[in-house]
Amino acid sequence: MNYSVAVFASIGLLLLLAMAWLVFSATRRQPRVIRDENRERECIHISKLPQIKQALADSDFIYLNERGYPALARRIQKERRRIALNYLACLRVEFEKLVRFARMVAAMSPNLAVAQEVQGLRLNLEFSYRYYLIYFRMISGIGPLKAIGTLSNMVSALTIRMETAMSELGERAALGAELLPHNRGGLDARS
Amino acid sequence: MTLNFPKIVDYLWATTFLLQLVLCALLFIRGYFRRLPFFTAYISLNLCQGVFLYAIYHHYGYNSMAGYVAGWVSEALTLAARVFATVELLRLVLLWYRGIWGLTWRLLACVCPMVLLSIGAFSRSDPQVLVMQVDTGFHVVFAVALVLCLGLIHYYPIRVEPVYKVLLSGFCWYSCARILTNTVLHGYSYAEYLHYWPMWQTLAISSYLLVLILWGSVLSKPLPPMLQRQALLPDSVYTDISPEINDQLQAINRRLMNFWKIEEPPQ
Repeated sequence: MNYSVAVFASIGLLLLLAMAWLVFSATRRQPRVIRDENRERECIHISKLPQIKQALADSDFIYLNERGYPALARRIQKERRRIALNYLACLRVEFEKLVRFARMVAAMSPNLAVAQEVQGLRLNLEFSYRYYLIYFRMISGIGPLKAIGTLSNMVSALTIRMETAMSELGERAALGAELLPHNRGGLDARS
Repeated sequence: MTLNFPKIVDYLWATTFLLQLVLCALLFIRGYFRRLPFFTAYISLNLCQGVFLYAIYHHYGYNSMAGYVAGWVSEALTLAARVFATVELLRLVLLWYRGIWGLTWRLLACVCPMVLLSIGAFSRSDPQVLVMQVDTGFHVVFAVALVLCLGLIHYYPIRVEPVYKVLLSGFCWYSCARILTNTVLHGYSYAEYLHYWPMWQTLAISSYLLVLILWGSVLSKPLPPMLQRQALLPDSVYTDISPEINDQLQAINRRLMNFWKIEEPPQ
């Protein structure tokens, strides 16, 4: 057996796996849609959550440590970390909503620019990579909670701009709404 | 004057023939051939190929030069028909998504030559297996192109009827199975053994048989109605919004890059 056999066999297997993923991930999408909708309901006030930022501020921990309650400070920090993680998940939902909007516009456009689409995909992948990096660092307890607030501001600003853009679409919003029930993308037509 | 294949190949051949006949009957009786003319042509061509090769192998033997030439020439024809049938299915899926359709073609025009060059670089320089390698190369390019198309459909909010999904994944599955069959059998030098061709036939026909069963099961149900024309947005909407979104995404990513530079709160 030489190297070409290994290469072609790997290509064949990879293609098979990719195809299976593309076909079956779409059929399992329905529950995810429902889960995402629940999450969207939970995250409805994401752009109006200064309380979260307040909760993530370090002043409380400093105060408790100074007062001689390190155990309490640790417990509160742990709880707030959990809140921060939930908040991070909400931010992702918000981000994905915007990306979906971008894809919807692309799908409804008669001409697409390859460079724009490739850039969009690259940025999306970059976001995912950084998001998970932050997420796992948060889980492992080495992430600065304060930075979550910064992330929130970024996504909120983008949300507002996109909402403005959507309203500018005017009467075409109806078309978008028509596409929305099955705009989760992919190969699932049963939604 | 006898067919030299073992009984199992005969049975598989007969089953494939019957299934293709049923599929053809379905396509014609239910009038699906009007919507899927190239797919119907592909199935019909495969049916004819089966009968033709059975006769050739029966008359000349599968190890003969006539059998070899007839086998590969007829295979080339069916592969061409397969490409047309796949394009037809993709066209049905992307009928009202002009932008995505154009993007798909540009992407394929860019990726397929690269894949072909890579195949050339990794292929064995053995003239004895040249035809088999060309066949493998075709299936690699075909499967890569199809997976890319399925990936694009998955990425964008495009509605795909299950019947088209099954037909497309059937093509993809068969190509992947052929890549693996061709590669692994040649890799272990089965070509030198007497049972190579019967084994190759058994594996190739079995994978095709699975595809036929899959296709038969979806085509036994009525085809969905044709998608209604989707209204497209003016070009200006995309040219305005898409760069805006990308700029914003870039800004987010830049901020995320600086995420860890923010001062750690004192513990």
